[in-house]
Amino acid sequence: MNTMQTTKENIQDNPSDSALPAWWLVFTRELADLWVGGKGLSLILIYSVVLAVMVYVFSFNTELSLIPPKEAVYEMLKNAMAVSMFISLVIGADTLSGERERNTLESLLLTPASRRQIVVGKFLAAFSIWPVAYAIAIPFMNVLSQGDEVLLPAILWGLATGTVMVVAFTGLGMLVSFWSSSNRVSYFASMGIYVLLLVPAELPGTSSGAAGQFLQWINPMASVNHFLSKHLVNYEPLSLFWSWLVAPAVLAVLALGFLFLYAGPGLRLEPGKTSWLWTRKLGRAIGLGGMALLLIALFTSASSAMAGSQAQNQTSDLQISIDLDALVVKTGDKVEYNTVVTNNGAEASPPLIVAMNVINLDAKGDTVDPEDWAPKRTQYMETLGPGETVSLHWIINTILEGNYMVYMVLIPQPDNSDSTSQAVATSGIHLTVQPFTRLNPGGVLPYVIGAPLLVVVIIYFVNRSRNKNVDIGRSE
Amino acid sequence: MMQSEEIKALSLPPEILVAEGLRKSYGPRCALQGLSFSLRAGHILGFLGPNGAGKTTSIRILTTMMQADSGHFIIDGIGSEHPEKIRGRIGVLPENLGFPRQMTGFEYLTYFGQLYGRTTAEARKHALKLLEDVGLQQRGKSLIGSYSHGMRQRIGIARALVNDPVVVFLDEPTLGLDPRGQQELLELVQHIARERNTGVILCSHLLSEIEDVCDDVVILNVGYMVARGSVAEVVGRVQQNIILRNILRVQVLPDKITEARQILEAMPNIIKVAPVGEREGWLRLELLGTAYGEPASVHQINNKILSALIRAKIPILGFETEGGRLHDVFLHLTEEAIK
Repeated sequence: MNTMQTTKENIQDNPSDSALPAWWLVFTRELADLWVGGKGLSLILIYSVVLAVMVYVFSFNTELSLIPPKEAVYEMLKNAMAVSMFISLVIGADTLSGERERNTLESLLLTPASRRQIVVGKFLAAFSIWPVAYAIAIPFMNVLSQGDEVLLPAILWGLATGTVMVVAFTGLGMLVSFWSSSNRVSYFASMGIYVLLLVPAELPGTSSGAAGQFLQWINPMASVNHFLSKHLVNYEPLSLFWSWLVAPAVLAVLALGFLFLYAGPGLRLEPGKTSWLWTRKLGRAIGLGGMALLLIALFTSASSAMAGSQAQNQTSDLQISIDLDALVVKTGDKVEYNTVVTNNGAEASPPLIVAMNVINLDAKGDTVDPEDWAPKRTQYMETLGPGETVSLHWIINTILEGNYMVYMVLIPQPDNSDSTSQAVATSGIHLTVQPFTRLNPGGVLPYVIGAPLLVVVIIYFVNRSRNKNVDIGRSE
Repeated sequence: MMQSEEIKALSLPPEILVAEGLRKSYGPRCALQGLSFSLRAGHILGFLGPNGAGKTTSIRILTTMMQADSGHFIIDGIGSEHPEKIRGRIGVLPENLGFPRQMTGFEYLTYFGQLYGRTTAEARKHALKLLEDVGLQQRGKSLIGSYSHGMRQRIGIARALVNDPVVVFLDEPTLGLDPRGQQELLELVQHIARERNTGVILCSHLLSEIEDVCDDVVILNVGYMVARGSVAEVVGRVQQNIILRNILRVQVLPDKITEARQILEAMPNIIKVAPVGEREGWLRLELLGTAYGEPASVHQINNKILSALIRAKIPILGFETEGGRLHDVFLHLTEEAIK
């Protein structure tokens, strides 16, 4: 059958329709370029292999297999997000400079399509990596969770924070591409940005001290990791850590703002040139304004992030609060939390003692053996000045399964042997300890082998389907 | 009663592109200095100039890819202050145009048709017609990655026509094509201009192809426009100056060139005989004593030269006066401007 006859038949099958917006046309075209014969599926295959190797190591390594499920899920989520961000950055970095290099940008710019719509279409196509990558990560998280209830919040929070981060990194990659004349420059610059953000987020000990905490907080990758770790692993309440999401959100807003409002209308054949509407002065003003807004947002949120505690209504001049909500853990888990002691009085307090209490609710209120459950059951403080606040860190090792109540008591040291003092207590926090389960190596193998294999099968069928619809002709 | 020039002007097709005083500088370097010309519907205008003459800058400005420092142009009644509207009226085949290797020719043309506002069905229908117009109907479903260079140039021209433009810019369309491919492509360009009544601006280094297919010509040199008008006008205007030099060219069989040279060198009115660089079998003859420009004596010398060669039984394949070709005019003008 004549090849063009087939095409004519196809045309007759499609009734008359309306003209489509340019962003949609560019989006669908770029989507096809990325996923059909492009690098999208290849990158996803590499990604799925990386995740599979990680799960394999988690289950077969003797020490790693003892990691509690919620920590394993968190690690998987963190790495899946990091690799997805890397892929989105690489794809974003190719979008404009790659077209310049391949001499295909000019024909696109010669159409009457709005340049902003072209950029929007390309951005959406580059972003399409994320839902696919995340869908592949979910089964891996599922197998690592071993039925732990951390799975659902991990999926939801991973989706939310990952979407913000991938939006930011895709936008960053495209901005770098906008300013780059060649793909080599664009890739190197993007890699530089990625390493700059990744290394501080992964190095141990970088978050110690106020300056370290601030640097961690200001780094979008580190702050997202911190947020997820506090919420998913330590079950700390969201109210204490929402501000750790400010940096990623600000980065995403800035990246999109610059991309669609600055780079979009100014897209030219030459790298980084802007249209006459976007003079250097205006661009500089927007850049400085954005930076100022970012800094204001960072500093206002930093204070609440550093405080990290929740005040409770108490009548005494001395107050104690605990940053822990009811939570479910497994035997062997480590529960960490903080208490904040405040002196609201006009005078300095006497020396203070803070004591941890853990009661076994299944045994009618018996206290647990303190030596096994906590390395430090009491902490002593010298006098606390008026208005002064002190934060104390606590660790509970969950030894036995069961239902427990944790509460903290603040006791001012009595002046002498005859006097008494007024103790202040926090509310009781319910702690459910479930039995420990070890990751089953046999259970993870179908996922480890299946996910990459599935991607390979998809690549095969996509290529086969494509080849059926085109002539793989030789040049004449 | 109407004057003959007025009648002639009325019978001409309308001007669809008018450029006035276009200037462009890159820092201290002036790339284009006051370019003014016009193009009529259905006409082909050759854009000539050596490397760095300002051709690409001119095309980039006229196709709205670059903004001129000053000057103005109008395409199909739309001023240069409306670049998006102009983009809807023009078609462009840039030099070194890249193609998506994973798309078929049909998909490529459909996609661009949609970007120009056509519905999917319209864009597909139009893509089929364009494929037929450029002779690629049998390869419409093949991946562009499998196309030869000539086929890519053809699909590039089809893409330039996807919006039924009033002006088409073709930047070195025959570059890299074999002679047959060049010939076919130029026939296609002529077909586009005549059948669609589209104005074509053709940039090329091949002067012979410009001379063969173009109605008008603009010659640029180091940013300045050094000539414009119809090919005949430009050649005629410059020809006299060149002919004063009295140089002839004669083509004989390559194996007879040494013999011909000896005969010609022995003739009294010839100062110098030398082979013409790349043109096989051609000899360049510099004449003596006719620098006064008397046509009658020039013709007599021509006849004597030809008679001498015929007597020696040397077949004459070609004979021309230097200055009568666009090639000579181009070299003369660009040389003068450089001086």
